[in-house]
Amino acid sequence: MFCLLALIVLSILGIFSATHRQLAKEAFDCVFRRITFRPCTTGFKEKMKAKLTGKILNRSPFVARFLNRHFELVSWVFFILMVASTFWTVKGAYNFYLYGSCNGLNETGFCAFDPSGENNKVSQIATSCSLEKPSEKDLTLNGVDLSIFPIRNPDAKDKIIFIGCYGCDYTRKAYPLIQKLIANNEVSFIFAHFPVKDETNFLSEYGYCAYKQDQERFWQFNDALFASDKQNLGNKNYVDGLASKIGYNLTTIDRCIDSQETKEAVERQFQEISKTHVYGTPTVFINGKVLVGPKPYRVYERALKGWRFW
Amino acid sequence: MNINKLRQDFPFFQKTLNRKPIIYFDNACQSLRPQSVIDAVVNYYQDYPACGGRSMHRLAAKVTQKCDEARSIIARFVGAKRKEEIIFTRNTTEGINLVAHSLGLQKGDIVVTSDKEHNSNLIPWQILAKKIGIIHKIIPSREENIFGLEGFKKVMNEEVKLVSLGFTSNLDGVTIPASEIIKIAHQFGVLVLLDVAQTAPHHKIDVTALDVDFLAFSGHKMLGPSGTGVLYGKYHLLEKLEPFLVGGDTVVSSTYDSHKLLPPPEKFEAGLQDYAGIIGLGEAVRYLEKVGFENITEQEHTLNKFISNEIVNIPHLHIIGPEDPSKRGGIVSFYIEGVDSHQVALMLDESANIMVRSGQHCVHSWFASKKIAGSVRASLYFYNTQEEAEIFVNQLKKVIRVL
Repeated sequence: MFCLLALIVLSILGIFSATHRQLAKEAFDCVFRRITFRPCTTGFKEKMKAKLTGKILNRSPFVARFLNRHFELVSWVFFILMVASTFWTVKGAYNFYLYGSCNGLNETGFCAFDPSGENNKVSQIATSCSLEKPSEKDLTLNGVDLSIFPIRNPDAKDKIIFIGCYGCDYTRKAYPLIQKLIANNEVSFIFAHFPVKDETNFLSEYGYCAYKQDQERFWQFNDALFASDKQNLGNKNYVDGLASKIGYNLTTIDRCIDSQETKEAVERQFQEISKTHVYGTPTVFINGKVLVGPKPYRVYERALKGWRFW
Repeated sequence: MNINKLRQDFPFFQKTLNRKPIIYFDNACQSLRPQSVIDAVVNYYQDYPACGGRSMHRLAAKVTQKCDEARSIIARFVGAKRKEEIIFTRNTTEGINLVAHSLGLQKGDIVVTSDKEHNSNLIPWQILAKKIGIIHKIIPSREENIFGLEGFKKVMNEEVKLVSLGFTSNLDGVTIPASEIIKIAHQFGVLVLLDVAQTAPHHKIDVTALDVDFLAFSGHKMLGPSGTGVLYGKYHLLEKLEPFLVGGDTVVSSTYDSHKLLPPPEKFEAGLQDYAGIIGLGEAVRYLEKVGFENITEQEHTLNKFISNEIVNIPHLHIIGPEDPSKRGGIVSFYIEGVDSHQVALMLDESANIMVRSGQHCVHSWFASKKIAGSVRASLYFYNTQEEAEIFVNQLKKVIRVL
């Protein structure tokens, strides 16, 4: 067992070191002899055993003695650990490829491929005190009236519901990817603004009125808001400038914003969003699958197309 | 002898492994080199890297002169009557093979060796026995691996053509009574070849006093560059030998169907020589003479006595050769029942940077006959210290406790 273990470990080390490459060759010779039903007479195992025991001897004679007497057993233990760690590594890589996180969909534990956890970060929504941590499992569209949100291409079979915030970094990271996905696929797209930053609260009403005035221009306006420097989004004059440039009638919009009907509609939108149990932005529902945080494009694409994305 | 001062001459002692000093106890295989030997080799390559004995230009003349000087130094070192009795070889093995293949041995000729010869003094005779039918006789050792002089006397007669023996064994450090052996052999007109690879670095040798016919040793065991060796032969015998390796610089002249060989030593030194090595070997001999053999043997015996006394009582540990360390020169060769010698050597290396030899030391035949798998061999030289010996002993005890 030791020779096999040594072959794997030394082959990896051998990529970087000529000394280990030579040892890997010796380990291969030993393994090859064993699989061809010949005894391993190269003395490789004994050599490595002596080297390892010698290294440990000065630090702990007890451990050195234990290793010397139970070398095969220790080899087995390390082999099992190696197989287990390989399994977890492969599983982590697989999860990362599929979900952008080594730990699974929307899981935030440490991931070597995404050490800073960027793919799972969200802008937290201030909610009422709760003993339990918000969970992705609670996210749902059941009972949520989606008809009150801006929608594009409503008849398409595939559906994306994007809950985001104009002024939030992670939403702004995910939005262009979702736009790319929409551009490349026949998709029904619903956008729900859930402002996490106070200074952009007014954009919910602004967006409602813009959509009400001109549904086609709304999507240009939406794109323009996400393309803008987020420092400017709290400035109504700046937003007016964007809307005006797109062709909106600002007087109509201002009147709409001030109306009681708009306030009630926006309040209703918030209530509907709350029913999803959203706890951070961006939260994206793609054909019912929830993706929290800005995922890599491949993750969104696979969620939309399944294995067809190959 | 101020060992610490001498050690400063060896750049190796400034080296460390994993920030710890290295203890070199593998001197029977190859010794370390002083700076003067390294300089001599480097100077050749840097200042006059030319051919010796051929070209006429000044660089070539200097090479010829330097090699000639080295030959003279070595001739004086072994007590040869004339420098032409010194033939440069690559090592002891080549020297022995030169005699074996040039002596003109015939079918039925008897060659006598001992039962613990290095492969270099065993295999050539086995091959000649197979090829031309010489008879190879082996003298069994007495108790404690001492040379079997009585057995030797019984074997000797006029039909024996050559006695070929290791003067000092690389297995256990035991030195044979060469002077007595040579006298007995010569009574029957038998030639004697001595392998002094393990003697020349440690003891003064005088070929004239010994009256030995041939003598071979290596430079790399006595501070010289690796790949250097010497064969001494009495001049009148060398004149009769037919060289087994011929070619460049071995002839006075040649035609398409004949040639005239040069006299010894040139006729045995075919092809371009290791000039740097030869010059370095000359320098090594100079250095050894400066240190003095009395100092060398005294230091080796002191260390051997200390190590032997410290380890002799370790259970299941057996020292090969005589119990008395003074009869084992600078060699402490031992085995531990049920323990792989390589494992001990590797653990000493990995745990404390102690370099010793393990295995059968090219004396497979002896180990096979005794059914011993191998031994650990610590071989000492004058530059080894008491402190190193103490570290070795302590670490060895530690290793044994683990095994």
